[in-house]
Amino acid sequence: MKSQLTIESQNSPELLERLLRVVRHRGFNMQTLQAETTNNEQNLHLSLTVCSEREISLLTKQLEKIFGVTKVSLLAQQAVIKASA
Amino acid sequence: MNGANFVVQALKQHNISQVFGYPGGAIMPLYDALYDGGVDHLLCRHEQGAVMAAIGYARSTGNVGVCIATSGPGATNLITGLADAMMDSVPVVAITGQVASNLIGTDAFQEIDVLGLSLACTKHSFMVQSADQLGPIIEQAFELASSGRPGPVLIDIPKDIQLGDAVNFASICKAPITENVDQKTINKALAMISNAQKPLLYVGGGVGMAKAIAPLRKFINITKIPSVCTLKGIGAIEHDSDYFLGMVGMHGSKASNLAIQECDLLIAIGARFDDRVTGKLDEFAPHAKVIHLDIDAAEVDKLRTVELSMTEDLKQILPLLEVETSIHDWQQKALTMKIDFANRYDHPGEAIFAPALLRQLAQMQPRDTVICTDVGQHQMWVAQHMFVDRPENHISSSGLGTMGFGIPAAVGAKVARPDDMVIAVSGDGSFMMNVQELGTIKRKKLPVKILLIDNQRLGMVRQWQKLFFDGRYSETILTDNPDFVTLASAFDIPGETISTKSQIQGALKRLLESEGAYLLHVSISEEENVWPLVPPGAANDKMMESLQ
Repeated sequence: MKSQLTIESQNSPELLERLLRVVRHRGFNMQTLQAETTNNEQNLHLSLTVCSEREISLLTKQLEKIFGVTKVSLLAQQAVIKASA
Repeated sequence: MNGANFVVQALKQHNISQVFGYPGGAIMPLYDALYDGGVDHLLCRHEQGAVMAAIGYARSTGNVGVCIATSGPGATNLITGLADAMMDSVPVVAITGQVASNLIGTDAFQEIDVLGLSLACTKHSFMVQSADQLGPIIEQAFELASSGRPGPVLIDIPKDIQLGDAVNFASICKAPITENVDQKTINKALAMISNAQKPLLYVGGGVGMAKAIAPLRKFINITKIPSVCTLKGIGAIEHDSDYFLGMVGMHGSKASNLAIQECDLLIAIGARFDDRVTGKLDEFAPHAKVIHLDIDAAEVDKLRTVELSMTEDLKQILPLLEVETSIHDWQQKALTMKIDFANRYDHPGEAIFAPALLRQLAQMQPRDTVICTDVGQHQMWVAQHMFVDRPENHISSSGLGTMGFGIPAAVGAKVARPDDMVIAVSGDGSFMMNVQELGTIKRKKLPVKILLIDNQRLGMVRQWQKLFFDGRYSETILTDNPDFVTLASAFDIPGETISTKSQIQGALKRLLESEGAYLLHVSISEEENVWPLVPPGAANDKMMESLQ
């Protein structure tokens, strides 16, 4: 399953690294990622697409726990069709 | 006031009177401030010892433990302890020195990116980048370590910020937010509990961390629902509570595991469906609906999909769930299993049977004794055969399974609770992993009692090699162990070795009555195994109970 997420957070130097680690460790592959600072570099806005056989809530709940993250939204989900042999 | 003095004052403001650590170059300004700063510092003999002593301090009191280390190797040596605290949700604040700001990123002497290293093993990590951040970061660190699901927090402070002028910081006292529990959810839970024929409580370490022991016990007294606990949940329920069946899981009691497999409603309270508890997850509690009470929403539906969950404070929820039940047949079944599958202590021959020894120690030790264990067979024997009535009295590395944990944890517990007996139960493998902390015991003349159960093996691994690897004892034979009594004597710790049943009573008495530290070295057969055992990948009712 492919999932499209947005994350709003307070900006800090290691925040992106922290988020990426959680995505990998919890069993999700990153497919796209866009990150930009907003509000005079005070905040960080991320749009990402991740892919995994795991339920997306396993990831979003972990992301929501990260200190500084203010909002995690699931925008869309799409089944990944595997090509048969 | 410089940054380092500011840190010491901030520790005092957070009611920290005791810290554990090891000095070094990049943390020297903080050590200078500690010299006469009014906070007691215990020098451990390795940073790993310092962080594990802080864990022992935190777990034996419920307060935040603080440890301090220098940059580079000092910081990396904290990592295993931080991971331990992360897995067991222990409130720890670790302060590390960092090279000066202008040297960060230059591969300076003793520079390591500890912030990067710590991301996987802390609840949060901070690096202080300017003097004005110091106050808010320390406040946030203590708040984060102890709120919600507790955990370790790292504060990395460059040397120039320790030496530079501090910036005043007005502490903001935030009132704790009390969430309202949804009445509909409570009503649904009450209906589920009332309608269940075979309800069972599965109690974890979260109850103790939430300081919800009294509400839990009241809930049990009113509902009279049978219960089991996890390794970290030991002590939450009184050991002689009527329908309490003991620990569940891989080395859990037969009664607990069978009750789990039979129950029709499982109420998980501050527990997280760890694989060592569930065995084969698909076959865990196969007939049960599940109510999950846990402060961490990320634990809900993580491994087991549940019918109902609540993530508010257990102290708030449990009183709302008090309801009388009529489950006489199930209670009787629990009692029957408890009697039929009770631990047995008959054991042929003169050699010491560790479970019986530990049972005897539990009977002889003073009330409110703190038991700290290492990791391995002895740890499971303690969990199975000793009885504990407060979670703060059973300190065992549960989630991470950190060998070398027991001695430093006992150091921390003894400093925290000087009037209570503290006993470290260790194995010959684990003991050697932080043996340098005997130096800390000597230095502070800490009357820590050590019970070292020695089978000259890495016993738990040996047991698995015997059972699952055709007896190929790869690197688990430790017949070349040092003479432990002589080793202890080098640290002014008296001790003795025993190897027969007839020696137990007198030796335990000497251990308990010794004025200072004492080592009781107990030689046991390498053939002893921990039973029962749920083999890896099996359901909890597929227990092995002997070699046959």
